[in-house]
Amino acid sequence: MAKYGMVIDETKCVGCYACRVACQNQNHLRENEAYNYLEEREFGTFPNFNREFLPVQCQHCDNPPCVSVCPTGASHKRKDGIVLVNEKDCIGCKYCIAACPYNVRIIKKEGYIEKCRFCIEFVEEGGKPACMTTCMTGVRMFGDLDDPQSDIAQFIARNGHRLRVLKREMNTKPRIFYRKA
Amino acid sequence: MTAGALSLGLLDFQSWAKASAEAPVIRIPTICNGCGNRCALFAFVKNGRIWRVEGNPEANGNQGVLCPKGHGYLHDVYNPNRIRSPLKRVEGRFQPISWEQAYKEIAQKINLILLENGPESIFWVNYPQPNQAYALRFMHSLGSPHYFTHGSTCFTARNAAWNFTVGKLPSNDLANSRFIMIVGRNPAGGIDLGQVKDIVKAKEKGAKVVVVDPRHNETAILADEWLPVKPGTDLALLLAMINVMVSEKLYHKEFVKDHTVGFQQLEDEIINYPPEWAEKICNIPAKTIIRITREIAREKPHALIHRGYHGAIGAQYLNSFQTARALAIANALLGNINRKGGIYFAEAAELGELQPTHPAPVGPSGPKADGTGIPGRYPLGSYGDGISHAIPELALRGVLKCGFVYHHNPLRTNPNPKRVIAGYKKLELLVVIDPVLSETASIAHYVLPASFYLEADEAVDTKHYGKRAQVSIQRKVIEPLFDSRSGFQIIVDLAKCLGVGKYFNFTLDEANELRLKPLGAALKDLKAKGILPVGAPWKEGFGKLGTPSGKVEIASSTLENLGYPAIPRWEAPLVSPDDKDPHSFRLIHGKQAIHTHAMTANQPYLMAISRRYDMIRLLINRARAEKIGLKDGDVAEIKSLVGEGKIRVKLTEGLHPSCVWLPSGYGIFSKYLTTAYDQGLSYNDFLPTLFDPTVGHAMSSEVIVQVTKA
Repeated sequence: MAKYGMVIDETKCVGCYACRVACQNQNHLRENEAYNYLEEREFGTFPNFNREFLPVQCQHCDNPPCVSVCPTGASHKRKDGIVLVNEKDCIGCKYCIAACPYNVRIIKKEGYIEKCRFCIEFVEEGGKPACMTTCMTGVRMFGDLDDPQSDIAQFIARNGHRLRVLKREMNTKPRIFYRKA
Repeated sequence: MTAGALSLGLLDFQSWAKASAEAPVIRIPTICNGCGNRCALFAFVKNGRIWRVEGNPEANGNQGVLCPKGHGYLHDVYNPNRIRSPLKRVEGRFQPISWEQAYKEIAQKINLILLENGPESIFWVNYPQPNQAYALRFMHSLGSPHYFTHGSTCFTARNAAWNFTVGKLPSNDLANSRFIMIVGRNPAGGIDLGQVKDIVKAKEKGAKVVVVDPRHNETAILADEWLPVKPGTDLALLLAMINVMVSEKLYHKEFVKDHTVGFQQLEDEIINYPPEWAEKICNIPAKTIIRITREIAREKPHALIHRGYHGAIGAQYLNSFQTARALAIANALLGNINRKGGIYFAEAAELGELQPTHPAPVGPSGPKADGTGIPGRYPLGSYGDGISHAIPELALRGVLKCGFVYHHNPLRTNPNPKRVIAGYKKLELLVVIDPVLSETASIAHYVLPASFYLEADEAVDTKHYGKRAQVSIQRKVIEPLFDSRSGFQIIVDLAKCLGVGKYFNFTLDEANELRLKPLGAALKDLKAKGILPVGAPWKEGFGKLGTPSGKVEIASSTLENLGYPAIPRWEAPLVSPDDKDPHSFRLIHGKQAIHTHAMTANQPYLMAISRRYDMIRLLINRARAEKIGLKDGDVAEIKSLVGEGKIRVKLTEGLHPSCVWLPSGYGIFSKYLTTAYDQGLSYNDFLPTLFDPTVGHAMSSEVIVQVTKA
């Protein structure tokens, strides 16, 4: 069985937001509902200045706090590594929103909680997540972490020292790995 | 849920998705219309509604990816602000009218106006669309030379300079370049997807990227170095780089000897512009200028200075033309003209003619009333584009009496809106062709609802030039929601109603087939694929260029004969901020990746980003802001000679202290555009009506504003 994960290259994001809207279309989201966001940061003083955008979305953690606090089992971790919310079982209690340290869950107008699904229906048909395929600088890489031949596994093998995870101290064991700036 | 509601597509996106979960998905290739790049895409339709889009990997221009506008703008087909039928303004209010009645009334009025004032009193202005050739044919068939594009507010200085130097506008072979310098152009913000992909490819192969811009723009995020030039002084930087190339003999000697004229004159002239001189003007340290010049020259000829667009060299400053000339000459000194990794002449498809099958009207021979085509008036102006921001002036003088505005919104995108409104209101007849009631449409006598790009087939297009030319086509993806017609159809209909239908005796398919014929491309194949390669692949090197000497003109005798310097000389901007006044700034502008001109601000998906990330703000250098008591998020008042407005500020270290920066695309004042109405300001609100004396462009950064805490 595949074990899905993602690499996000922090050095490449220019903050265009194509990933946000591509994701909204793929997942039929309303204009104010987004599964990903960008954090802009500025460094230095004029004229020695730089800035970067950090793309954040559900980290599909291996130790997901959203799953352990969910009273109904709506938030669950699949064998292929993807964390999902079962809309029918979600009672909208928002415990998962409080527990998630990445601020990536949204409350749908219908009352249930949702978040990035790694475009799983699409991936199962052989596609790739919409946030990845639309990106002009190629910020994201997605694939099977357990397949040593996959692009992502090879990238991780080559770039281990350049990788980090967000909020490592929370021990959430994210499946999104960031290539450091 | 009724089938009607579904096909109208006005259902909430999510409700529709639920209702359509099991529906089959249809994939149709077409091109985007979220900006002028016309990226090739696949549209996915479910249950008659557009669901999502994907980039077409075959396309030169976007190489398989799409920008936020490509994804967001498609929702505008379902925007409740769309016009549902032709409209006529009666006593200040719009009333629905049938197409036939609208055409009849428009034809009657135009015929009377032309009878009294002559055929030159009518104009057509558009932001170019693939059907532009038919609009030109329409004006010519009426006997008017007055076909205009938006060029004078965008790129005419750049085009003129490249024409005078190498005979045509070239492209950039970014992917194969070893050193990329970009001056006043921001392909990651004013998005050019293919260019960004190519910059990333070049970087992966070890290329160095340097961005020259008063603002740390989005492309600068990808760059190795950002050079925050003082706005309006890019010319000084380029002259100093040329000075270093000449004095240190870093230029490509063989190329200069074999392929250029006027190097001797350049040597004599450029001695005036050492880096130490430039440092004082453009604020880039002399030692940096020397180092960058040595670095770029080391990689020649696989090194380039981006050919540029609007910023710095397009239509911004009094010195934009000379800046563009210097930029072209610096490239020539690198020996990179039509070389791999340099500035190259992209292969572009040359469509066939409709004649002799459908003879063209005999075009008018006279100049345009804006002065283009009159010897000596705007000696370097573009007759083809005209000077479109002169239309309101010509209307106020009574020279232009009636006109059509198509896919364009001059009331919002031209400088000095009060003057623009006065001019367009003076017209005896204004017909606007648009899917919504833009600012310009809202003062029109008649508004004809153009189909949204997803609703109509259109003329074949040649935008996807590159290493091999491509043709592309816009196809109907969904059934039209309202009583709208395609731009092509409206042009043909109008021509027929005005009695010049004999020049338009063809259907869209026939015309497209004729135009594709010499390229050996079949319309059926193009429709199936969305994009097709045509012609031979690009090759390095060149024979005779389209300049008078047939060579790269470092010195231009044509310019000299017109009374201009043959070699670029330093020329100061028209206006400069007062160094002693802490409130005095130059107002500059630029694009955010999520908006195009004034046409996307009303799109809820794109405007949601502007709001969520607080992007509708004036950027100001932190130290300068603090000096005048402005904190991040405060409201500032901006005033110029012609306009004033209030907007919140964003303090940043990433902006030259002499200027403030306003994102373009906001400041919508048409109350019919409910999402965008009254959100932010436009730089045009503050710009006086200016015409650069050589090219006639708008000089859209020649404006000084007073910024105070509101």
